[in-house]
Amino acid sequence: MSYSFKVAFKSLYREKWINLLSIFTVGSSLLIITLTVFFLYNLELITGHLPERFSMMIYLKDNLAQEEVQNVLSTLRKRPDVAKLKYISKDEALKELKETLHDTNYILEGLDDNPLAASFEMRLKKDFVNAASAAKIAGEIKKMPGIDSVYYGEKIAEAINLLKRSVENISLIIFLTIALGVVFVTYSTVKILFYRRKEEIEILKLLGATGGFIRAPFLIEGGAIGLMGGVLGTIGAFAFYIAVTYRLSIVIPILKTLVFPPGLLIALPLTGIILGIIGSAIAIGRLRL
Amino acid sequence: MIIFQNVSKYYDFHTVLRNINISIQKGEMAFLTGPSGAGKSTLLKLMYMAEIPDEGNILIEDLDIGSMKMSQIPLLRRNIGVVFQDFKLIRNLNIFDNVALALRIRGVAEKETKALTSEALKKVNLRHLADSYPKSLSGGEQQRISIARAIVAEPLVLLADEPTGNLDPGTALDIIRLFRDLNSQGTTIMIATHNRELFRGTGKRVLKLDGGSLVGEELG
Ligand SMILES: Nc1ncnc2c1ncn2[C@@H]1O[C@H](COP(=O)(O)OP(=O)(O)OP(=O)(O)O)[C@@H](O)[C@H]1O
Ligand SMILES: [Mg+2]
Repeated sequence: MSYSFKVAFKSLYREKWINLLSIFTVGSSLLIITLTVFFLYNLELITGHLPERFSMMIYLKDNLAQEEVQNVLSTLRKRPDVAKLKYISKDEALKELKETLHDTNYILEGLDDNPLAASFEMRLKKDFVNAASAAKIAGEIKKMPGIDSVYYGEKIAEAINLLKRSVENISLIIFLTIALGVVFVTYSTVKILFYRRKEEIEILKLLGATGGFIRAPFLIEGGAIGLMGGVLGTIGAFAFYIAVTYRLSIVIPILKTLVFPPGLLIALPLTGIILGIIGSAIAIGRLRL
Repeated sequence: MIIFQNVSKYYDFHTVLRNINISIQKGEMAFLTGPSGAGKSTLLKLMYMAEIPDEGNILIEDLDIGSMKMSQIPLLRRNIGVVFQDFKLIRNLNIFDNVALALRIRGVAEKETKALTSEALKKVNLRHLADSYPKSLSGGEQQRISIARAIVAEPLVLLADEPTGNLDPGTALDIIRLFRDLNSQGTTIMIATHNRELFRGTGKRVLKLDGGSLVGEELG
């Protein structure tokens, strides 16, 4: 085994130009994957909080007795989809409205009666923030006694959900496309190395080497190309991150909050190794002894 | 033990070996001689399965070559040491690694590999070239490296194809002496050569091949 590594590293050095070329290609491909992951990771961090902000307003019928309001509250509390409930009384609603209107609150002058309804502001659990469940929940609540109407942003619920789904799909497509590219690059490189060492391989076969013995150095070499490409990609990604957070954030302050996913430091080189080995395994194929 | 039963080999429409019958005992040493193009190399190639016979049966030690699976070929070859007519050294490896390769292929531990390789290089008097590369060696030196590689793993059977073709008469006799030593330790040996000096006075069987047929046998 140590011999296979020796052969692989000798070949890495001997064919340094061709190997360097493919390391750079693999590195930049993996960098693109990284930037995608990086972008999505941060988008996820930002949008991850969106469902928590999504709320449903439940307006109560006018003049409900204290006890009836309590009934509504305890029924809502028992629901499995409810994360948070906040009661807003008639007076509070009016106070809030006045604050919102601010300078223009003369509109409210001359009102003797408070026309606003008491309400519950309800936050849903993350998993229920989508158009279908929100509509179902709203429908159920509306049928409860004492409820006047239920209001929520249908479009927002749908948008949050759609954003999440399309981000997942796009990242999967980018990842698969580039992974395929990396496999192809190592495939071609190892194929070339293989043909250059055709004579040597024929001799090895005549001396009684097994397929595994002949293959191992090529798999190691493919894996090493992937690994070095991965390390290169990681360095590139980190440089990009530093540039964005320290330089660009002077102009665009929000960039300062970007986070570098620490898992990338391991995931990227590991992805490189795996893709490199797959590429070289395909390149060598089945050996005829 | 080497047994050929009615073996024939054709290339395209031209017969290279015709109805060959050979029986060589375990631990025997025999020569194969005949003019250039007689089929000596082809006959040896059939034994390590670089070529497949078109007719007949071949047995090497206890292995029946005809019914062997692809996956068993490496095992067969690891029981046979071959001195190739064209040496077949690996350009990218130095002399030491070329010889050591035969042991590494067999999974011999690195420490033992070092000791056995040095010993084999010493037997062919080329230990001082361990760090050189094949292309800087003379034809005779390359030939002796090829011999060192063939014997280093102590195979059951040794096949040598014109092993002294590039050697001066003195060195050639040294090599034959080396082969006889190995033979006396039990290695079955077959040497293809058209150099009569090699087998003269050895008292070993000499098989005569001409135009693809065995045409006789004598004692050297
Ligand atoms: N791969 C091949 N394809 C076609 N013909 C071949 C092939 N290999 C050998 N031959 C032919 O088979 C015949 C025997 O060749 P072989 O190499 O066995 O002879 P040899 O006895 O070893 O000769 P020499 O003493 O010159 O080494 C020759 O006529 C050669 O041209
Ligand atoms: Mg020949």
